[in-house]
Amino acid sequence: MVKKIIASGVTRPIMRRSFLKAAAAFGFAGAFPAILIRSANAAGTPTVVNSIRSLSNPYHATWNKGGAAFAKAVGAEYVTLVTEGNSEKGIADIKAILAKTGGNCVINIDPNDSPDARPIVEACKAAGAYVVTQWNKPADLHPWDFNPNYVAHISFSGVPYGKAMAAALIKSMGGKGGIVALGGIESNVPAIERKAGLMQALKENPDVQLLDMQVANWSGKEALEKTNAWLTQFGEKIGGIWAANDDMALGAVEALRADGRAGKVSVTGIDGIQLAVEAVLKGEMAGTVAWDPYWQGGMGLAIAFAAKTGKFDPSKEPKEHREFYGTGVTITSENAQTFYDANIKAEPKLDWNDIWGRASGQIQYN
Amino acid sequence: MTTPIEQITKRQPQPKRIRRWRVATWAPLMVLVLLCIIVTFINPNFLSFGNLVRITQSAMIPLVLGIGATFIVLMGSIDLSVEGVVTLSAVILSMLVLNGANSNNLGVLAVPIVLFIGSAVGFINGLVHVRLKVPSFMTTLGTWFIALGAANALLGGMSTRINDPFIRGLAVVRFMGFPWGVWLALFCLLLALIIQNYTRLGRYIYALGGGEDLAALSGISTFTVRIATFTLAGAFYAVGGILAAAQLGLGNAQIGTGWLFTTITAVVVGGTSLAGGQGGVLQTLVGVLIVGVLSNGMVLMGVPSSVQIGVQGLMIIAAVALSIDRKLNRIVK
Amino acid sequence: MSEGSAESVLSLVNVHKRFPGVHALKNVSIEVRRGEVIGLVGENGAGKSTLMKILSGVYQPDTGSIKIAGQATQLESAADANRKGIGMVFQEQSLLTNLTVGENIYLGNEAQFTRFGIVNWKALYTAASRQLEKIQVDVDPSLRADDLDFATRQMVELAKALTLEEHASDHLVILLDEPTSVLEQAEIDVLFARVRSLKSRASFIFVSHRLDEVLDLSDRIYVMKDGAVVADLVAANADVNTLHHLMVGRSLQSDYYREPLQKPYRDEVVLEVDGLSLDHAYKNIGFKLHAGEILGIAGVIGSGREELARTLVGFAPHSSGSLRVLNREVHLMSPAEAVDMGIGYIPRERRVEGLVLFLPVSANITLAGLEKLTRHGLIDTREERLLATRWVERLRIRTPSINTLCLNLSGGNQQKVVLAKWLNANVRILILDHPTRGLDVGAKEEVYELVRAVTSEGVAVILTSDTLEETIGLSHSLLVMRDGEITYRADSEPGNKPSQIEIIGHMV
Repeated sequence: MVKKIIASGVTRPIMRRSFLKAAAAFGFAGAFPAILIRSANAAGTPTVVNSIRSLSNPYHATWNKGGAAFAKAVGAEYVTLVTEGNSEKGIADIKAILAKTGGNCVINIDPNDSPDARPIVEACKAAGAYVVTQWNKPADLHPWDFNPNYVAHISFSGVPYGKAMAAALIKSMGGKGGIVALGGIESNVPAIERKAGLMQALKENPDVQLLDMQVANWSGKEALEKTNAWLTQFGEKIGGIWAANDDMALGAVEALRADGRAGKVSVTGIDGIQLAVEAVLKGEMAGTVAWDPYWQGGMGLAIAFAAKTGKFDPSKEPKEHREFYGTGVTITSENAQTFYDANIKAEPKLDWNDIWGRASGQIQYN
Repeated sequence: MTTPIEQITKRQPQPKRIRRWRVATWAPLMVLVLLCIIVTFINPNFLSFGNLVRITQSAMIPLVLGIGATFIVLMGSIDLSVEGVVTLSAVILSMLVLNGANSNNLGVLAVPIVLFIGSAVGFINGLVHVRLKVPSFMTTLGTWFIALGAANALLGGMSTRINDPFIRGLAVVRFMGFPWGVWLALFCLLLALIIQNYTRLGRYIYALGGGEDLAALSGISTFTVRIATFTLAGAFYAVGGILAAAQLGLGNAQIGTGWLFTTITAVVVGGTSLAGGQGGVLQTLVGVLIVGVLSNGMVLMGVPSSVQIGVQGLMIIAAVALSIDRKLNRIVK
Repeated sequence: MSEGSAESVLSLVNVHKRFPGVHALKNVSIEVRRGEVIGLVGENGAGKSTLMKILSGVYQPDTGSIKIAGQATQLESAADANRKGIGMVFQEQSLLTNLTVGENIYLGNEAQFTRFGIVNWKALYTAASRQLEKIQVDVDPSLRADDLDFATRQMVELAKALTLEEHASDHLVILLDEPTSVLEQAEIDVLFARVRSLKSRASFIFVSHRLDEVLDLSDRIYVMKDGAVVADLVAANADVNTLHHLMVGRSLQSDYYREPLQKPYRDEVVLEVDGLSLDHAYKNIGFKLHAGEILGIAGVIGSGREELARTLVGFAPHSSGSLRVLNREVHLMSPAEAVDMGIGYIPRERRVEGLVLFLPVSANITLAGLEKLTRHGLIDTREERLLATRWVERLRIRTPSINTLCLNLSGGNQQKVVLAKWLNANVRILILDHPTRGLDVGAKEEVYELVRAVTSEGVAVILTSDTLEETIGLSHSLLVMRDGEITYRADSEPGNKPSQIEIIGHMV
């Protein structure tokens, strides 16, 4: 069974509270308008639609900003759909927007769960809308089987970035010592991939010892508790902490701070959220990886929009433009300031016409 | 007073001492001690001062939340709004004190505001529960999401870094070796003990837990007691929110996630009956420590992550099974 | 005992059963023979219910044995009793009203109609019809139970009990626990006719308060008193008077109800009721209650006396008429208001409504009067302990300490704690709702003494009781209610108390 793939560590699936899951979605549906319409626009220009899990985590909030920026750049009406972790709601909202626009729309979606991608793509094809999916889709669902409407699927491989962060951590420790690792929910694909990257890095650095690895379920709170226990168990032996996402990394930093050791033990995360970048600037974290959700939210729409408006014909594009890995930005103390100034302090400036600029190879399915 | 009653001196057999030594009352404490012994045996570092401080640090938030929840559970109700109130309090606090997102700098003044907001959510819980006769389970489920939604709306999904030295100090600055947050939690415990043992509200909470009709028949305004108790619990959750924000150094819409489970577990494991009427905040302290020592100890003992959550589940069942006095459940006529 | 020629199908031998503070069954032995209808009579608290619960597997005896067809056995549970051929028809209707008659009859025994987890409803309903035919009841088994009247439901229960024939190897024994209490006379006749016609299939144990019915239906009668079987009579040789005498066990002992302690009440009127009515409950009730007076209200279920008591404690506000407490016109909307007016309530379910079982004796005593003990928002626990100690001494509450949980007290002492609670709150009027229910004789007598004592201090009491004898014995004045109205008033002075027969005549 394909488990939920969590794009960002920020949103935890409701494992222990699954009995309340349906109620949760219900509650949220009441708390948020399902469809946030930003501005009305001239008929003819396709409506641009982002469908994401929620607006309550920094990752998707930034994604949404990117989408809004792109819509503004092309003068299109912009709609945000929020699934709140409920696949049925996600699919129903998409069908509603397809009906409302008569198919004159482009959709950039982070499907709540892999199986959701198929009915969504089929609905878009039937309505004549153009769609780009990110992160989650079944392995046997391919854009080229739904020409031209299913324009592309974008994902990020966790392996190279998990490895890059481990490398940055090891480098900051001077190439030797003991580390501990905080993993995401064990069944999540990103958690598995990032961990695989960590293991590769460890194999290449025999002087570094993995003291322990614990699952902290993407949560800063749990990471703080695990780190606390490690500080007792391993004490000075801990030279670095590798975390599979930024929230857990920041939790570890706070545990170190309460112990008076923040900045003395290296910590790395992945995701590139603002607080993590700031922590890198302050020297409390050794690095993180920015997926650039701003790019994901805007460029996903830009690719679909270009196809919809006839700028290119998806069916004539090579497969490495149809199912590709995006490029993450590795942030360490060397480039943190530059990244911060360009992407966080100021509104990021992206060239919406450079649609293949970050395509780095066709996705491999095992 | 002339007391003809005192003339009644007939048939005075020895007082029957039916009181028996009840394992149930002491089971949680014994479990805690046993747990400490086992963990120490496997990893003597457990008893180091540094680790004790770390356990108290991780226990301070569940303790404060558990205190609030204990009062609710004693009444025979349940409160699911813990995470909502914690999140809302932490988010509002992070926006009022010196922070990385706006220019507010209310400092300590933000604390009463946050306490007020927590109490207000609790008050609404009580009012809806009592006036509209909505079961507390559903009422607080609703306010949980309303409070979460409000927190989302306020922050738009971003995290706010807290730079206020007083708030951060709760987690970082120490007094006699323990962070100030731990002392704050202990102060809350003291306050709760006074409320529980020395105020009418405390007594009436037990009476309500013993039976709603019975309390009413004793002349207690059950509506007022219920509303007051939910309000009180809301205030404690707000303190929990402040501590959570202090500990992570930020406020965001996820900060409350997971606390409901921990809180209810601690209350129940401590021996407060979900049926109401039995238990108290000291029991919850024991429950919090059991949960804290167990999760700390499992890492110290090198228990695999995948097993840990299962062990926690087993512990809940075991603790509740130990606390229930089956002999009491016989029907006595 | 008479040597019956018929074989014994069920017997209890030397059974004891104790609950905290109550020796509920004392050395009870009974025998049920094939085809017999056994009558079981006794006052409330005599042990009938406990006995029935042992026979139906709900309780297990502490000592003694149960024999079925001469073989010693144990009844682990109601289901186990069912398997061994003991069926029950309860006083409280035990049909699930949201299920159909057929579903009810085979509830828990659907397995025989089930193939691969699917219930063959047609077969079940056919079988249910057959069961109903056995007792000649013409009911469509696909009707929901709540579509039937009470009498028919009773028949369905009987039919349900008879399904036990299908799996129990032995002769059936069916327990009929107060089956007639909600039935009209014609319906009772039908029920009795069915029971008689079923004697070839089953033996019956029939419990009822209506002695004439017991005499009518039974072959043999066991009389219980204070947990023991005091007589085993052949019904044909007994009459109502004999039975009653055996049940009560004393020719009206005036001493039992502390009549010598009954003092004349005072002139002060504490409660005055005039034209008081509550829709569908009671109408046009009028009486005066004086300080120190015990006013007994007699009446059967449905007479309106329960509702009247509920009005006085604030649970059921009256719809018209006048209610004056201490010369103030009031309309009691909640129990809190009643308590404020100085009205205390001692409920029949004291474990549920009278006491907080998990609070200590001291906290229970002060529960209704905490305002007096509160200084600057905090309870003065020293003062509380002093007060509680005083009450424990005054009322002779037998408790290891004032910190003992009320849970651990015997029934009589629990009742005294409830009384102490109200005396501590300085109530002027006490509503006693079946105050001695479930108490054994000794405890009852203590409660009587206490009631006498509090009235001599000027507290007024309104009493509703399980037994008419108790009502008459304790009261200064009597009201008899029927169908919501007062049908009779009587003074009840010591030495000149009205007879039960006289009162019953106005009750029904």
